[in-house]
Amino acid sequence: MMVKCVIWDLDNTLLSGVYLESGSQLPPPDPVMLGVAAELRDRGIIHAIASRNPPEAAQYAQQATGLEFAAAECGWDRKSDAVRRIIADLAMAPDAVAFVDDDLYERAEVSFRVPEALVLSPEDMADATGWPEFSPAVVTAEARRRGEMYAERRRRQQESRAFAGSRDEFLRYCETKVTIAEATPADVPRLHELSVRTHQFNTAGQAMAEPALRAVIGSPAHRVAVVRLSDRFGDDGMVGACVVETESDRAWTVTLLMMSCRAMGRGVIEALLAWLLRSAAEGGAAALAVPCLVSSRNVPLRLALAGSGFRATEGGSPDQPTALFSRPVSGPLPDLPDWVTGPGAAG
Amino acid sequence: MIGGLREILAQATGREELLGLGAEVPLFGTGVGLDSLAGTLLLREVHRRFGVDVADEDLNLDALATLGTLARFIQERSG
Repeated sequence: MMVKCVIWDLDNTLLSGVYLESGSQLPPPDPVMLGVAAELRDRGIIHAIASRNPPEAAQYAQQATGLEFAAAECGWDRKSDAVRRIIADLAMAPDAVAFVDDDLYERAEVSFRVPEALVLSPEDMADATGWPEFSPAVVTAEARRRGEMYAERRRRQQESRAFAGSRDEFLRYCETKVTIAEATPADVPRLHELSVRTHQFNTAGQAMAEPALRAVIGSPAHRVAVVRLSDRFGDDGMVGACVVETESDRAWTVTLLMMSCRAMGRGVIEALLAWLLRSAAEGGAAALAVPCLVSSRNVPLRLALAGSGFRATEGGSPDQPTALFSRPVSGPLPDLPDWVTGPGAAG
Repeated sequence: MIGGLREILAQATGREELLGLGAEVPLFGTGVGLDSLAGTLLLREVHRRFGVDVADEDLNLDALATLGTLARFIQERSG
Protein backbone atom coordinates (compact mmCIF):
# COMPACT_ATOMS: atom_id res chain seq x y z
CA MET A 1 0.00 0.00 0.00
CA MET A 2 1.45 3.29 -1.11
CA VAL A 3 1.77 6.04 1.44
CA LYS A 4 0.20 9.26 0.17
CA CYS A 5 0.38 11.33 3.35
CA VAL A 6 2.79 11.50 6.27
CA ILE A 7 1.44 12.84 9.56
CA TRP A 8 4.17 14.25 11.77
CA ASP A 9 4.41 14.79 15.47
CA LEU A 10 6.45 17.95 16.18
CA ASP A 11 8.25 17.75 19.54
CA ASN A 12 11.40 15.64 19.24
CA THR A 13 10.21 14.35 15.89
CA LEU A 14 10.02 16.93 13.13
CA LEU A 15 11.52 19.50 15.49
CA SER A 16 14.74 18.97 17.46
CA GLY A 17 13.33 19.79 20.84
CA VAL A 18 10.10 20.65 22.58
CA TYR A 19 8.21 23.68 21.27
CA LEU A 20 6.79 24.84 24.58
CA GLU A 21 9.97 24.21 26.55
CA SER A 22 12.29 26.14 24.28
CA GLY A 23 11.50 29.68 25.43
CA SER A 24 12.68 32.26 22.96
CA GLN A 25 14.94 29.81 21.12
CA LEU A 26 12.38 27.81 19.16
CA PRO A 27 13.60 24.33 18.23
CA PRO A 28 14.97 24.00 14.71
CA PRO A 29 13.72 21.27 12.38
CA ASP A 30 15.44 17.94 12.81
CA PRO A 31 17.77 17.87 9.80
CA VAL A 32 17.31 14.16 9.09
CA MET A 33 13.49 14.33 9.27
CA LEU A 34 13.50 17.50 7.19
CA GLY A 35 15.58 15.80 4.52
CA VAL A 36 13.21 12.84 4.46
CA ALA A 37 10.13 15.07 4.34
CA ALA A 38 11.53 17.15 1.48
CA GLU A 39 12.44 14.02 -0.50
CA LEU A 40 8.95 12.58 0.00
CA ARG A 41 7.34 15.89 -0.98
CA ASP A 42 9.33 15.73 -4.21
CA ARG A 43 7.74 12.33 -4.85
CA GLY A 44 4.27 13.80 -4.49
CA ILE A 45 3.60 12.66 -0.92
CA ILE A 46 1.80 15.27 1.21
CA HIS A 47 2.46 16.18 4.84
CA ALA A 48 0.31 16.95 7.88
CA ILE A 49 0.90 17.74 11.54
CA ALA A 50 -0.59 16.11 14.65
CA SER A 51 0.86 17.71 17.73
CA ARG A 52 0.02 18.35 21.37
CA ASN A 53 0.81 21.99 21.11
CA PRO A 54 -0.99 25.28 20.55
CA PRO A 55 -1.87 26.07 16.89
CA GLU A 56 1.08 28.47 16.61
CA ALA A 57 3.40 25.46 16.73
CA ALA A 58 2.11 24.28 13.35
CA GLN A 59 2.61 27.74 11.84
CA TYR A 60 6.12 27.78 13.25
CA ALA A 61 6.84 24.32 11.82
CA GLN A 62 5.63 25.39 8.40
CA GLN A 63 7.83 28.46 8.43
CA ALA A 64 10.88 26.72 9.90
CA THR A 65 10.79 23.73 7.53
CA GLY A 66 9.63 25.48 4.38
CA LEU A 67 7.21 22.56 3.87
CA GLU A 68 3.52 22.90 3.08
CA PHE A 69 1.25 21.05 5.48
CA ALA A 70 -2.09 19.98 4.04
CA ALA A 71 -3.62 19.69 7.52
CA ALA A 72 -2.67 20.43 11.10
CA GLU A 73 -4.33 19.15 14.24
CA CYS A 74 -2.90 20.90 17.29
CA GLY A 75 -4.48 20.47 20.69
CA TRP A 76 -4.53 18.27 23.71
CA ASP A 77 -6.69 15.36 22.64
CA ARG A 78 -5.55 11.83 22.08
CA LYS A 79 -3.14 11.56 19.18
CA SER A 80 -5.30 8.92 17.50
CA ASP A 81 -8.22 11.37 17.41
CA ALA A 82 -6.03 13.97 15.73
CA VAL A 83 -4.83 11.38 13.20
CA ARG A 84 -8.38 10.26 12.46
CA ARG A 85 -9.53 13.84 11.93
CA ILE A 86 -6.71 14.45 9.47
CA ILE A 87 -7.54 11.24 7.61
CA ALA A 88 -11.18 12.38 7.35
CA ASP A 89 -10.31 15.98 6.40
CA LEU A 90 -8.00 14.87 3.61
CA ALA A 91 -10.36 12.07 2.53
CA MET A 92 -7.46 9.64 2.72
CA ALA A 93 -7.69 5.88 3.01
CA PRO A 94 -6.22 5.03 6.45
CA ASP A 95 -3.73 2.63 4.90
CA ALA A 96 -2.32 5.41 2.70
CA VAL A 97 -1.17 7.26 5.80
CA ALA A 98 2.09 7.09 7.76
CA PHE A 99 2.38 8.54 11.26
CA VAL A 100 5.73 9.51 12.78
CA ASP A 101 6.21 10.12 16.51
CA ASP A 102 9.20 9.70 18.82
CA ASP A 103 6.96 8.67 21.70
CA LEU A 104 6.47 4.95 21.98
CA TYR A 105 3.12 5.24 23.73
CA GLU A 106 1.70 7.68 21.22
CA ARG A 107 2.74 5.21 18.55
CA ALA A 108 1.08 2.36 20.45
CA GLU A 109 -2.10 4.38 21.01
CA VAL A 110 -2.37 5.34 17.34
CA SER A 111 -1.55 1.77 16.21
CA PHE A 112 -4.39 0.45 18.35
CA ARG A 113 -6.99 2.85 17.12
CA VAL A 114 -5.83 3.30 13.54
CA PRO A 115 -4.36 -0.11 12.77
CA GLU A 116 -4.23 0.47 9.01
CA ALA A 117 -1.81 3.39 9.36
CA LEU A 118 1.93 2.84 9.04
CA VAL A 119 3.23 3.94 12.44
CA LEU A 120 6.92 4.79 12.64
CA SER A 121 9.51 6.17 15.01
CA PRO A 122 11.87 8.89 13.68
CA GLU A 123 14.62 6.22 13.45
CA ASP A 124 12.33 4.06 11.28
CA MET A 125 11.42 7.07 9.18
CA ALA A 126 15.06 7.92 8.48
CA ASP A 127 15.26 4.56 6.75
CA ALA A 128 11.87 4.62 5.11
CA THR A 129 12.49 6.66 1.97
CA GLY A 130 13.85 3.49 0.37
CA TRP A 131 10.84 1.29 1.18
CA PRO A 132 8.39 0.37 -1.56
CA GLU A 133 5.58 2.00 0.48
CA PHE A 134 7.17 5.40 -0.16
CA SER A 135 7.48 5.00 -3.95
CA PRO A 136 11.21 5.45 -4.38
CA ALA A 137 12.74 5.33 -7.84
CA VAL A 138 14.76 2.24 -6.91
CA VAL A 139 13.90 -0.39 -4.27
CA THR A 140 16.75 -2.44 -2.82
CA ALA A 141 16.15 -5.93 -1.43
CA GLU A 142 17.02 -4.71 2.07
CA ALA A 143 14.58 -1.80 1.81
CA ARG A 144 11.88 -4.14 0.61
CA ARG A 145 12.54 -6.40 3.60
CA ARG A 146 12.39 -3.50 6.06
CA GLY A 147 9.17 -2.23 4.54
CA GLU A 148 7.76 -5.75 4.74
CA MET A 149 8.50 -5.88 8.49
CA TYR A 150 6.23 -2.89 8.99
CA ALA A 151 3.56 -4.37 6.78
CA GLU A 152 3.72 -7.45 9.04
CA ARG A 153 3.24 -5.29 12.09
CA ARG A 154 0.26 -3.54 10.53
CA ARG A 155 -1.38 -6.86 9.67
CA ARG A 156 -0.89 -8.08 13.23
CA GLN A 157 -2.33 -4.83 14.58
CA GLN A 158 -5.38 -5.05 12.34
CA GLU A 159 -6.06 -8.61 13.41
CA SER A 160 -5.63 -7.60 17.04
CA ARG A 161 -8.36 -5.04 16.69
CA ALA A 162 -10.75 -7.50 15.09
CA PHE A 163 -9.98 -10.22 17.62
CA ALA A 164 -12.46 -10.94 20.40
CA GLY A 165 -10.67 -12.57 23.31
CA SER A 166 -7.91 -12.10 25.83
CA ARG A 167 -4.41 -11.00 24.94
CA ASP A 168 -3.03 -14.51 25.55
CA GLU A 169 -5.70 -15.99 23.27
CA PHE A 170 -4.63 -13.51 20.59
CA LEU A 171 -0.96 -14.44 21.02
CA ARG A 172 -1.85 -18.10 20.57
CA TYR A 173 -3.99 -17.27 17.53
CA CYS A 174 -0.98 -15.50 15.99
CA GLU A 175 1.14 -18.66 16.54
CA THR A 176 3.49 -16.65 18.72
CA LYS A 177 6.80 -18.34 19.51
CA VAL A 178 9.06 -17.06 22.25
CA THR A 179 12.40 -18.88 22.30
CA ILE A 180 14.72 -18.42 25.25
CA ALA A 181 18.29 -19.67 24.83
CA GLU A 182 21.63 -19.41 26.61
CA ALA A 183 23.69 -16.62 25.05
CA THR A 184 26.78 -17.49 23.03
CA PRO A 185 29.74 -15.27 22.10
CA ALA A 186 28.21 -14.91 18.62
CA ASP A 187 25.27 -13.05 20.24
CA VAL A 188 27.49 -10.35 21.76
CA PRO A 189 27.23 -7.68 19.01
CA ARG A 190 23.44 -7.93 18.91
CA LEU A 191 23.25 -7.95 22.73
CA HIS A 192 25.34 -4.80 22.89
CA GLU A 193 23.17 -3.10 20.28
CA LEU A 194 20.05 -4.07 22.22
CA SER A 195 21.50 -2.62 25.42
CA VAL A 196 22.20 0.68 23.65
CA ARG A 197 18.75 0.95 22.10
CA THR A 198 16.49 -0.21 24.91
CA HIS A 199 15.57 2.74 27.11
CA GLN A 200 12.11 1.95 28.37
CA PHE A 201 12.89 -1.68 28.97
CA ASN A 202 16.30 -1.68 30.53
CA THR A 203 16.62 -2.22 34.27
CA ALA A 204 20.14 -0.82 34.41
CA GLY A 205 19.21 2.24 32.35
CA GLN A 206 22.42 1.95 30.41
CA ALA A 207 24.27 -0.01 27.77
CA MET A 208 26.62 -2.92 28.42
CA ALA A 209 29.91 -2.97 26.52
CA GLU A 210 30.95 -5.98 24.46
CA PRO A 211 33.86 -7.02 26.71
CA ALA A 212 31.57 -6.99 29.75
CA LEU A 213 29.02 -9.09 27.87
CA ARG A 214 31.68 -11.60 26.82
CA ALA A 215 32.84 -11.80 30.43
CA VAL A 216 29.41 -12.69 31.83
CA ILE A 217 28.70 -15.16 29.04
CA GLY A 218 31.87 -17.02 29.97
CA SER A 219 31.37 -16.71 33.71
CA PRO A 220 30.31 -19.72 35.83
CA ALA A 221 28.67 -17.35 38.32
CA HIS A 222 26.31 -15.93 35.69
CA ARG A 223 23.66 -17.00 33.23
CA VAL A 224 22.92 -14.91 30.18
CA ALA A 225 19.75 -15.67 28.25
CA VAL A 226 18.55 -14.25 24.95
CA VAL A 227 14.92 -14.13 23.82
CA ARG A 228 13.71 -14.46 20.25
CA LEU A 229 10.19 -13.74 19.02
CA SER A 230 8.26 -14.74 15.94
CA ASP A 231 4.68 -15.40 14.89
CA ARG A 232 2.82 -16.12 11.68
CA PHE A 233 3.08 -12.49 10.63
CA GLY A 234 6.85 -12.32 10.86
CA ASP A 235 10.10 -13.01 12.67
CA ASP A 236 11.42 -10.29 14.98
CA GLY A 237 14.64 -12.12 15.86
CA MET A 238 16.34 -11.29 19.18
CA VAL A 239 14.11 -8.94 21.13
CA GLY A 240 15.35 -9.26 24.70
CA ALA A 241 17.95 -10.63 27.07
CA CYS A 242 18.91 -10.87 30.71
CA VAL A 243 22.06 -11.30 32.79
CA VAL A 244 21.65 -13.17 36.07
CA GLU A 245 24.03 -13.65 38.99
CA THR A 246 23.46 -17.18 40.19
CA GLU A 247 25.92 -17.69 43.05
CA SER A 248 23.72 -16.96 46.02
CA ASP A 249 21.04 -19.42 47.21
CA ARG A 250 19.24 -16.61 48.95
CA ALA A 251 18.40 -14.97 45.66
CA TRP A 252 19.45 -14.97 42.05
CA THR A 253 19.94 -11.36 40.97
CA VAL A 254 19.04 -10.14 37.51
CA THR A 255 21.70 -7.50 36.93
CA LEU A 256 20.32 -6.59 33.51
CA LEU A 257 16.92 -7.18 31.96
CA MET A 258 16.17 -5.59 28.63
CA MET A 259 13.64 -5.83 25.85
CA SER A 260 13.08 -4.09 22.55
CA CYS A 261 10.00 -1.89 22.50
CA ARG A 262 8.79 -3.53 19.31
CA ALA A 263 8.14 -6.66 21.39
CA MET A 264 5.82 -4.77 23.72
CA GLY A 265 2.37 -6.14 24.23
CA ARG A 266 3.32 -9.61 22.96
CA GLY A 267 3.91 -11.42 26.23
CA VAL A 268 7.69 -11.51 25.97
CA ILE A 269 8.70 -9.90 29.24
CA GLU A 270 6.11 -11.91 31.14
CA ALA A 271 7.47 -15.10 29.51
CA LEU A 272 11.05 -14.19 30.41
CA LEU A 273 10.11 -13.45 34.05
CA ALA A 274 8.15 -16.71 34.32
CA TRP A 275 11.07 -18.67 32.88
CA LEU A 276 13.56 -16.88 35.17
CA LEU A 277 11.48 -17.72 38.25
CA ARG A 278 11.38 -21.37 37.28
CA SER A 279 15.12 -21.46 36.53
CA ALA A 280 15.86 -19.87 39.89
CA ALA A 281 13.66 -22.44 41.63
CA GLU A 282 15.41 -25.30 39.82
CA GLY A 283 18.77 -23.76 40.65
CA GLY A 284 17.97 -23.84 44.35
CA ALA A 285 17.51 -20.11 44.92
CA ALA A 286 14.84 -18.93 47.34
CA ALA A 287 13.98 -15.78 45.43
CA LEU A 288 14.60 -13.77 42.28
CA ALA A 289 15.74 -10.16 42.70
CA VAL A 290 15.59 -7.51 39.98
CA PRO A 291 17.25 -4.21 40.86
CA CYS A 292 15.74 -1.55 38.69
CA LEU A 293 16.43 2.11 38.09
CA VAL A 294 13.20 3.97 38.85
CA SER A 295 12.35 6.53 36.23
CA SER A 296 9.33 7.59 34.25
CA ARG A 297 10.97 5.88 31.29
CA ASN A 298 10.72 2.36 32.58
CA VAL A 299 7.19 2.32 33.93
CA PRO A 300 6.41 -0.57 31.53
CA LEU A 301 9.06 -2.70 33.25
CA ARG A 302 7.57 -1.95 36.64
CA LEU A 303 4.18 -2.97 35.29
CA ALA A 304 5.54 -6.28 34.05
CA LEU A 305 7.27 -6.90 37.39
CA ALA A 306 4.16 -6.00 39.42
CA GLY A 307 2.05 -8.19 37.14
CA SER A 308 4.38 -11.12 37.76
CA GLY A 309 4.15 -10.82 41.53
CA PHE A 310 7.32 -8.88 42.32
CA ARG A 311 7.34 -6.43 45.23
CA ALA A 312 9.64 -3.43 45.42
CA THR A 313 11.60 -1.78 48.16
CA GLU A 314 13.17 1.62 47.58
CA GLY A 315 16.86 2.36 47.53
CA GLY A 316 19.57 4.29 45.77
CA SER A 317 19.87 8.06 46.12
CA PRO A 318 17.56 10.95 45.20
CA ASP A 319 19.62 11.43 42.01
CA GLN A 320 19.56 7.78 41.07
CA PRO A 321 16.54 6.22 42.72
CA THR A 322 16.56 2.49 42.40
CA ALA A 323 14.12 -0.11 43.54
CA LEU A 324 14.79 -3.72 44.36
CA PHE A 325 12.00 -5.87 43.02
CA SER A 326 11.95 -9.31 44.43
CA ARG A 327 9.77 -12.38 44.48
CA PRO A 328 10.10 -15.66 46.33
CA VAL A 329 10.10 -18.69 44.04
CA SER A 330 7.98 -20.81 46.35
CA GLY A 331 4.28 -21.20 45.76
CA PRO A 332 2.45 -20.91 42.44
CA LEU A 333 4.52 -19.23 39.76
CA PRO A 334 3.18 -17.16 36.83
CA ASP A 335 2.07 -19.24 33.84
CA LEU A 336 4.61 -20.22 31.26
CA PRO A 337 2.55 -20.57 28.07
CA ASP A 338 3.34 -23.54 25.85
CA TRP A 339 4.50 -21.24 23.05
CA VAL A 340 7.52 -20.35 25.19
CA THR A 341 10.51 -22.68 24.99
CA GLY A 342 13.68 -22.42 27.02
CA PRO A 343 16.56 -24.50 28.36
CA GLY A 344 16.07 -26.38 31.60
CA ALA A 345 12.86 -25.14 33.16
CA ALA A 346 9.77 -26.78 31.68
CA GLY A 347 6.37 -25.02 31.70
CA MET B 1 -15.38 7.37 38.13
CA ILE B 2 -15.42 3.58 37.74
CA GLY B 3 -17.31 4.02 34.46
CA GLY B 4 -14.61 6.37 33.19
CA LEU B 5 -11.88 3.94 34.26
CA ARG B 6 -13.66 1.06 32.50
CA GLU B 7 -13.66 3.15 29.33
CA ILE B 8 -9.96 3.92 29.69
CA LEU B 9 -9.19 0.24 30.32
CA ALA B 10 -11.24 -0.87 27.31
CA GLN B 11 -9.40 1.59 25.09
CA ALA B 12 -5.96 0.76 26.48
CA THR B 13 -6.48 -2.96 25.89
CA GLY B 14 -8.56 -2.66 22.72
CA ARG B 15 -11.15 -4.93 24.36
CA GLU B 16 -14.70 -3.60 24.44
CA GLU B 17 -15.93 -6.37 26.70
CA LEU B 18 -13.96 -4.78 29.56
CA LEU B 19 -16.55 -1.98 29.60
CA GLY B 20 -18.51 -4.38 31.82
CA LEU B 21 -15.63 -5.31 34.14
CA GLY B 22 -16.42 -5.62 37.85
CA ALA B 23 -14.71 -3.20 40.22
CA GLU B 24 -13.08 -5.99 42.25
CA VAL B 25 -11.64 -8.10 39.40
CA PRO B 26 -7.81 -8.30 39.56
CA LEU B 27 -6.33 -6.35 36.65
CA PHE B 28 -3.13 -8.41 36.62
CA GLY B 29 -5.02 -11.71 36.76
CA THR B 30 -5.49 -14.00 33.78
CA GLY B 31 -8.93 -12.59 32.92
CA VAL B 32 -7.81 -9.06 32.21
CA GLY B 33 -4.07 -9.78 31.95
CA LEU B 34 -3.04 -6.13 32.02
CA ASP B 35 0.39 -6.09 30.42
CA SER B 36 3.07 -3.43 30.29
CA LEU B 37 1.80 -1.86 27.07
CA ALA B 38 -1.88 -1.62 28.00
CA GLY B 39 -0.91 -0.66 31.55
CA THR B 40 1.21 2.23 30.38
CA LEU B 41 -1.50 3.52 28.05
CA LEU B 42 -3.97 3.27 30.95
CA LEU B 43 -1.70 5.18 33.36
CA ARG B 44 -1.07 7.91 30.83
CA GLU B 45 -4.76 8.38 30.14
CA VAL B 46 -5.49 8.44 33.90
CA HIS B 47 -2.83 11.12 34.28
CA ARG B 48 -4.26 13.07 31.36
CA ARG B 49 -7.87 12.85 32.49
CA PHE B 50 -7.59 13.02 36.29
CA GLY B 51 -4.24 14.72 36.79
CA VAL B 52 -2.91 11.90 38.97
CA ASP B 53 0.47 10.31 38.12
CA VAL B 54 0.04 6.87 39.63
CA ALA B 55 3.44 5.56 38.54
CA ASP B 56 5.20 8.46 40.20
CA GLU B 57 3.47 8.01 43.54
CA ASP B 58 3.06 4.27 43.83
CA LEU B 59 6.26 2.25 43.45
CA ASN B 60 4.54 -1.11 43.66
CA LEU B 61 1.58 -0.05 41.55
CA ASP B 62 -0.76 -1.46 44.20
CA ALA B 63 -3.29 1.10 42.98
CA LEU B 64 -3.66 -1.07 39.88
CA ALA B 65 -4.87 -4.13 41.79
CA THR B 66 -8.47 -3.53 40.64
CA LEU B 67 -10.55 -0.75 39.11
CA GLY B 68 -11.88 -0.17 42.64
CA THR B 69 -8.42 0.39 44.14
CA LEU B 70 -7.50 2.64 41.23
CA ALA B 71 -10.66 4.73 41.67
CA ARG B 72 -9.99 5.14 45.40
CA PHE B 73 -6.34 6.07 44.74
CA ILE B 74 -7.38 8.76 42.26
CA GLN B 75 -10.16 10.10 44.48
CA GLU B 76 -7.80 10.43 47.44
CA ARG B 77 -5.43 12.51 45.36
CA SER B 78 -7.59 14.72 43.24
CA GLY B 79 -9.39 17.97 43.89
